[in-house]
Amino acid sequence: MHITLVKKILADGSPCKKCADVIGKLEASNQMQYIDKIVTADERDSNSEGLKLAEKHSVGRAPFFLVEQEDKPAVIYTVYFKFVKEVLDGKTNEADEIKEIMNDNPDLDFI
Amino acid sequence: MSSSLLNTVDIDATLQQQSPKEIITYALAEFSHIALSFSGAEDVVLIDMAHRIDPNIEVFCLDTGRLHPETYQYIEQVRNHYKIDIDILSPDSETVRNLVQRKGLYSFLTDNHQECCGIRKITPLRNKLLEVDAWITGQRKDQSPGTRASIPIIQEDKAFARANETLTKFNPLANWTSQQVWDYIRINDIPYNSLHDKGYTSIGCEPCTRPTGPGQHEREGRWWWEESTKKECGLHSTNVDK
Repeated sequence: MHITLVKKILADGSPCKKCADVIGKLEASNQMQYIDKIVTADERDSNSEGLKLAEKHSVGRAPFFLVEQEDKPAVIYTVYFKFVKEVLDGKTNEADEIKEIMNDNPDLDFI
Repeated sequence: MSSSLLNTVDIDATLQQQSPKEIITYALAEFSHIALSFSGAEDVVLIDMAHRIDPNIEVFCLDTGRLHPETYQYIEQVRNHYKIDIDILSPDSETVRNLVQRKGLYSFLTDNHQECCGIRKITPLRNKLLEVDAWITGQRKDQSPGTRASIPIIQEDKAFARANETLTKFNPLANWTSQQVWDYIRINDIPYNSLHDKGYTSIGCEPCTRPTGPGQHEREGRWWWEESTKKECGLHSTNVDK
């Protein structure tokens, strides 16, 4: 299994807050060891590796995780807690999962 | 067909040119395990369109326990009008009990609405979506220029998909305006929520919804005490070479 974390740099050059938050969580839980590669989706650079990966996999947000396994299609995770639970077999809190989903999808509460 | 074989980006380009009814026809033909989300408001047009195509369309509704009496009456009216089953989804009672014991019945007025919505609405929604391969919503671009301006007709729902599987989300009304929705309701004489006649445009839970005045956007009738926050998780794909 090969895991790539795509983090983002905004068009004004500032780092993405959620990316920093996700990396902080991975480090705090000692799970950064499972991340094989970190690439950047730099909104100022259309050729940045992260933007190319986002385009290739039709991903519209960052951070996201690209999980590749031999003989299997690549899987994209845009929800950190879902990635932790399903890929790293980590324990997650449902309230935290829901909170992340709502933060990433601000129109969901209008459903 | 397995949704994993669908290229939603290419299909979206085609569906963008089609009418809501054509989009629903496509969705129902493509997926056998598909359900329609009904909010108890003007998205009833989806039920009307889908019911004409498949009278056995699966419909679900999120009952937060805090809806207006008019909305409950309306849901029942729709059930009887179309003679369909509507799967009423309730939140987990122990989780609600814990929230209320800790923070009372109106925590959303002092915190924000997300924790309450998460428990009463989003968690039951997630549990429901684990049962299906695709779902249909009434989301429209004109409902919120900030958060819905770019919603596609079809998309891969990565947030609610089962582990190692895909979930496809259809937004057949994405390109319709509120006026088009209401024209459809009037022309087809479809029953609608009586709250609309009292000035409500966007209808949610009773404590968190109010009528809107002339010139106000419908979203101003929801969680009006909160300051809207700008979300910045999207990738600005216009920077990507095509």
